[in-house]
Amino acid sequence: MDGPLKELAKLEKLASNASAKGKAPNINDSLDALLHSLREVKDRLQVGSATEDTLSILARTVEGKKKEVDERQKEVYNTLNRLGKTLDKKFSSPLPSYPPLFASPEAVSALERTVALHFLRTGQFNTAEAFIEEVGMDVDAETRGRFVDLHHTLTALRQRDIRAALVWTEQNRDFLRARSSSLEFFLHRSQYINLLLATHPPDVASALSYAKAAFPPFSSTHEQEIRRLMTCVLYLPLARLQASPYADLASPSLHLDLEPMFAKEYCASLGMSRQVPLRVVGDIGGGGALARIEKGRRVMRERKSEWSRTDELPIEIPLPPQNRYHSIFACPVSKEQSTDQNPPMMMTCGHVITKDSLHKLSKNSQRVKCPYCPVESQLAAALRVYF
Amino acid sequence: MSTSKLNIEGVMLFEQPFARVPYENYRKVFRASQRNVEKELGAVQSAANDLAKRSKARNNSTEDSIKAVDSMITRVENLKRKLSELQSSAGTPTLGVMRERLQHLAAVEDIPSVNEPEFTRWADTRLDRWLVDWALRTGKEKTARMIAEDRGIERLVDIDLFSDVCRIEEGLKRQSCSEALAWCSENKSSLRKLKEYIELARARKNEDAIAYSKKHLLPWQETHLAQIRQAAALLCFPPTTTCGPYKRLYDPARWTTLVQSFRLAVYNLSTLPTEPLLHLAVYAGLASLKLPACYDRHTKNTNCPVCDPNLGELAKEVPYSHHVNSTIVCRLSGKIMDADNMPMAFPNGYVYSKEALEEMALRDDGYVTCPRTGDRCLFSELRKVFIS
Ligand SMILES: [Zn+2]
Ligand SMILES: [Zn+2]
Repeated sequence: MDGPLKELAKLEKLASNASAKGKAPNINDSLDALLHSLREVKDRLQVGSATEDTLSILARTVEGKKKEVDERQKEVYNTLNRLGKTLDKKFSSPLPSYPPLFASPEAVSALERTVALHFLRTGQFNTAEAFIEEVGMDVDAETRGRFVDLHHTLTALRQRDIRAALVWTEQNRDFLRARSSSLEFFLHRSQYINLLLATHPPDVASALSYAKAAFPPFSSTHEQEIRRLMTCVLYLPLARLQASPYADLASPSLHLDLEPMFAKEYCASLGMSRQVPLRVVGDIGGGGALARIEKGRRVMRERKSEWSRTDELPIEIPLPPQNRYHSIFACPVSKEQSTDQNPPMMMTCGHVITKDSLHKLSKNSQRVKCPYCPVESQLAAALRVYF
Repeated sequence: MSTSKLNIEGVMLFEQPFARVPYENYRKVFRASQRNVEKELGAVQSAANDLAKRSKARNNSTEDSIKAVDSMITRVENLKRKLSELQSSAGTPTLGVMRERLQHLAAVEDIPSVNEPEFTRWADTRLDRWLVDWALRTGKEKTARMIAEDRGIERLVDIDLFSDVCRIEEGLKRQSCSEALAWCSENKSSLRKLKEYIELARARKNEDAIAYSKKHLLPWQETHLAQIRQAAALLCFPPTTTCGPYKRLYDPARWTTLVQSFRLAVYNLSTLPTEPLLHLAVYAGLASLKLPACYDRHTKNTNCPVCDPNLGELAKEVPYSHHVNSTIVCRLSGKIMDADNMPMAFPNGYVYSKEALEEMALRDDGYVTCPRTGDRCLFSELRKVFIS
């Protein structure tokens, strides 16, 4: 963005009346000088000291000043054009044009619901209410209430107040246990460390009495961790702790991580995704996917091959690991993606290929030689696998 | 290739209008100042020349001269006032908007990875901007204003541009085109390209017209040629024409087309896409993710945006993603399985990651349970799976 910013700075300088750095004086100065000359002439006319030359000199002055103004305007104009050129250069490919997207009544209302839930999920409750009213849609009170609760709990956690979060974890212990989530223990751990480090000198007694009350239910699942928490007391205050083998317990992430962790579990309990879905989709689309799709379209057009939009993208869009949500099995032999009719099969050696490839390799015999290792196995021993 | 590195080219693809709108606005301010200078100083100059001429011919009284000089003073003072008003009410704020936006774009160029918290904040703002754009284009002005105010991004969105468009469109819907014609004359020079095209077309120089449209209107001609023609037709009438001829020329259905055409002309001028930016981003994002597995209840994943019922509805009009290589995602941990975190199969063929299964075995005396089928076995009974 250096090019456009540089030209913009020049434009700002030219537009400001304060500086006169351009070649021509600024317009305000030129007009002031012109006014000064006009008033002088008027004075001379009034006192009768004007000569025949006075008015022809005035005409020349006006011409000169107008020229100055025009020159200054021309400088602005040229700078403006240069700025436009730097923008053209920076944004060399225009946004693609599509026939109307998401225009069906079903799509319109699906997008509106997505946006309403997005506002609620991100805690923009006033905007959510205004939007729901403006669109005239229905979002039941229970759904709204859940998001309000989530937001309140997260706001409290940000201020290191774990009470609301604890109420929820206690109510959802079974769910959390099934997910082997340590959220509840981590909440107590944060509180304990807070008590240890919040005061000067450290108030060890109250921290230990908190530990005595809070940690026993976790003694089987987090035994080692609890022992460390008890021992770290020997390395107080904070500065010593930070230089000790227990430095990790002094890290702010111990508290900061609670927010996303709570949101993740809370959302999972309601069958909602761990990330804000509209953000995920927008970041992928606006992070290179559209550019790649356009490139793919262009290549297809140049090769004069048709690409049916509703079928499949002609190119692969690389995704970060956190955005891979489903397993994809591409057969290493046929390069085809597995389907229900052509599922992935594991041979006795552990290598996986699709069923069709397996049968092709067996050449109508009952045995098959693995293409990836020396093992030959029984066709019937191949196991269908489910990812 | 690292997928966490920011794809600046892909990010910037969306940002041309963001930079271009205030730029075009400043050009308008400049043209207005230019008009004022030409009008006032031109008049002062001819008055001065006239005065000099008459004084040489000695056919004017001192009183008349004083009067003439006085009116020149008034004109220059007026010009000074107008220019300074224009600068403070429009020029300076527009430059401020331009600076803020260019700096906003410069900021993202410096972020090394999408995992930085700075990028999270930047992307939050970007989504807010897209939502404002979408709300304005779909007639939800109240929501748009609310987002802008709540998030403090008034200078990063173009509410005024769209309210102007709405005002003019309301006029067109009432079959009144004075607002639209005023807008057209204000943007005359920029609309020249369209006009030249339609004139070529009208003169039946079809080949030239096609060549011209290829050069200047290419990005749109595939999808919106009819509307471009309509937009241009509107411009072929001099701005002084009253509405009468239009009423005869356009039957009611055509007025609707005219409204759309007008919108397109405005978008074209600011390099705004015909679709909301949100639509384009969502389209590309969904297409990158969509898999047949998203529509099978056995393989749905609550964390997947396409598996979300609402986004899944939108994804129906989007192509499936394309994959050449295998990616095996653990249904227990959500992690991708590879040589460091091997896939392991239960005797029934269900596959999970080694890490997740080891953790399970640790908690259950060496036993593991398949969450999908309930089958239970010893960890040692699991088989390593090799995906080449
Ligand atoms: Zn093998
Ligand atoms: Zn999915």
